[in-house]
Amino acid sequence: MSERRRLNAARDALRHQKEWFAGLRADAERGRRVALVNADAPQEILRAMDVPYVVNQWWASIISAKRMSGRYLAELRSRGLPDDVEQYSALPLAEALAPSGDDAPWGGLPRPSVVLAECTGDSMRRMFALWESELGVPFLPLESSAAESVPERWWELMRHDWEMAIGSARVDLLREELEAAVPRLEELTGGTFDRHRLARVMDLSNEQAEWNRRTRDLLARAPGCPVAVNDVIPAVMIPQWHRGTEWAVQAARSLYEEVRGEVDAGRSVVPVERRRLMWIGRGLWFDMDFYRSFEESHGAVFVWSMYLALAADAYARYGDDPLRALAARFCAFRDQMYTPPWSVEWYVKEARTHRVDGVVHLVSSDSRSSWFTTRALEAAGVPVIEIRADNADGRSLDPGELHRRVGRWIESLG
Amino acid sequence: MTVPQLETRDAARLLDAVHDDRGAPAREWAAAGRPVVGYVGADTPVELVTAAGALPVRLAGRPGRDASRARTYLEGAVDPQVVNILAGLLDPGETSPDLVLITHESDASLQLFLTLRELRRTGVEALPPVHLLDLLHLPSKATARYNLGRVRRLADQMGAWRGRAIAADELEEAVEAHNRARAARAELTRRRATCLTGAECLRWYAAGTAMPPGRYADTLTEALRSVTGTPPATPRGRRLFVSGSEQDTADVYDALESRGWLVVGDDHSWGDGGHQPLLAAGGIEALTEHYTRAVLPVTGRDARRRAAIAAAGVLRSGAEVFLCYSRRYDDVHRWDFPGQRAAVGVPAALLRDQPYARADLAELAAGIGDPQKQVTS
Repeated sequence: MSERRRLNAARDALRHQKEWFAGLRADAERGRRVALVNADAPQEILRAMDVPYVVNQWWASIISAKRMSGRYLAELRSRGLPDDVEQYSALPLAEALAPSGDDAPWGGLPRPSVVLAECTGDSMRRMFALWESELGVPFLPLESSAAESVPERWWELMRHDWEMAIGSARVDLLREELEAAVPRLEELTGGTFDRHRLARVMDLSNEQAEWNRRTRDLLARAPGCPVAVNDVIPAVMIPQWHRGTEWAVQAARSLYEEVRGEVDAGRSVVPVERRRLMWIGRGLWFDMDFYRSFEESHGAVFVWSMYLALAADAYARYGDDPLRALAARFCAFRDQMYTPPWSVEWYVKEARTHRVDGVVHLVSSDSRSSWFTTRALEAAGVPVIEIRADNADGRSLDPGELHRRVGRWIESLG
Repeated sequence: MTVPQLETRDAARLLDAVHDDRGAPAREWAAAGRPVVGYVGADTPVELVTAAGALPVRLAGRPGRDASRARTYLEGAVDPQVVNILAGLLDPGETSPDLVLITHESDASLQLFLTLRELRRTGVEALPPVHLLDLLHLPSKATARYNLGRVRRLADQMGAWRGRAIAADELEEAVEAHNRARAARAELTRRRATCLTGAECLRWYAAGTAMPPGRYADTLTEALRSVTGTPPATPRGRRLFVSGSEQDTADVYDALESRGWLVVGDDHSWGDGGHQPLLAAGGIEALTEHYTRAVLPVTGRDARRRAAIAAAGVLRSGAEVFLCYSRRYDDVHRWDFPGQRAAVGVPAALLRDQPYARADLAELAAGIGDPQKQVTS
């Protein structure tokens, strides 16, 4: 068993995030306005206004990692609101509604001056509207459109041929919504939208995506997996939340170079890699050690999570009109990972290119089309174990039982 | 379709029979070689279906139907009513629609569309063609423009499907027919509390989602005569307003009313909430405006609006108790209930995680009291 050395890229990203958040809190205390943005909403519009923002799901992952989700969700329940629906998205609201205490994660989320989110599903609009009705924080909703038909192999189309992949109507809709949101966002945040700055933000975020693509391809081809997935996730996702900055590009490049060095040096997470595993679903934030818990006992390594793969395939959008390209980045974003046939074709493609021996498929209560994902993988000859739990709600899972069950399944792989 | 002269009692019986067998008008229609379109979504522009010469039938669940295969495909947090509809499409018996049309009325509806599309694409199941009408409802100009494009596209699709574009006069005739049905339905809304139980009223509403619109208007008008007489037979029970999940059959109301409740009003789209103003002339633009702004599914209303609708409904119907009935996985109502409870001004109860077509009456009695015991004690 190799020593559990943390990737520099992960360590640096985590350090940066803590410093950044401390700075954001200090700025907020001095009166600078902060926005809260849902993960699948076009954050770059705020970047182009030089408005600091926190990503809702990132903050939920911090709450969950600090094992405070149960306490905050109880606040929703005490108000007669659901504490068992879309917990991952609801946690920051739950924290904001709860009495503030000295033990809030990282000092607590500053009160945002605006919340920006797309109306995915039935609950999202309700949940974010509570920021406005209960806390006085204005909510700017964006539509969540859907396509009747889609072409195959989206990952080959999205960078340049997104108009064809998504369809003009959906792109037009979000572009028009963003155009209309700008004056309101300027009013609420004090920022000024700069179209040239947005073009630069899009250039930088595309460059970041290209580094992530190289890293993903490198890991797929490497003879043995040289880096642990729970290192790759923060090394990719923290820069993702800083998309459109020079720091994020450099972070993505540093990750690539570090992984390149590991591959060139012939290093691998385990000396003898007996099983290569894929994790489908959101990260298990309250038990990230799970991903490394089969290395010693089974020689089994998680070589894939969606975070790097999405960073590689799902974000890059090139085009002359940066606002339109930004709309194209987000108006079909969830389709790429949750909507068949796009999602299932992509998972099978990734399973093949990463030569996985099996897939651990997290099916949350709000997961969609999971039967098709499992079926397509099994049809492609990839064994799948499904786990039913909520990734951010530690109440939904017994870690010991999960470990035993997955362990037995790994042993059963031929 | 030939419309026989109906005796008033026959009209009432026909509406009840259609509620119990939603496929009956479709079979009659199809027997004459005409197509049937099954649709999901209160915001479906049924006029386009009618204008294309097809019968629009709103797909409903059926209690007792084996939904296990459908649940396999449509797993996760999806309203069991929609799972039941999928079960009906997988095993349609004699009443398979020629085309399925689904709107983005709710997340469950969208998941139903995606599931049908993927089952067809992969060849796992033999299913009719399915269209998605992605109507959205935020109050913005961008949404209105997007919807206009979607409705125009649907009109083109319906024309292509039947082999001839929909003409303006065909659309006008369809609008007129559905307006007649809307007017008859509005009369039912006005008179329900004085002459019908909630379950009877829901049966008559539901019949309108399966019959040709003109025939429904005639039948309902005649049926209303049958219950208007002297002396009026005003139904009895503790007056209850029902909000929350869609009730596409009368089973829950039957259960409630068998325990001493009287459902005097509701705000879901199979009940009073399905009321629509008459559609103005104006072609596709007017049609789009109607189904974007005048017909708002629950997910298109914010919590404040839902609370206001509930309060107005309770006041209008004279309800003594407000019930929010929320099916398992149809959780949108649970977010809105605290606001509704604060607004209605009468005792309010939430029944959550309910199974399809059933209600936990013991829980309701524990929370709000049992009318039967109050009557007998």
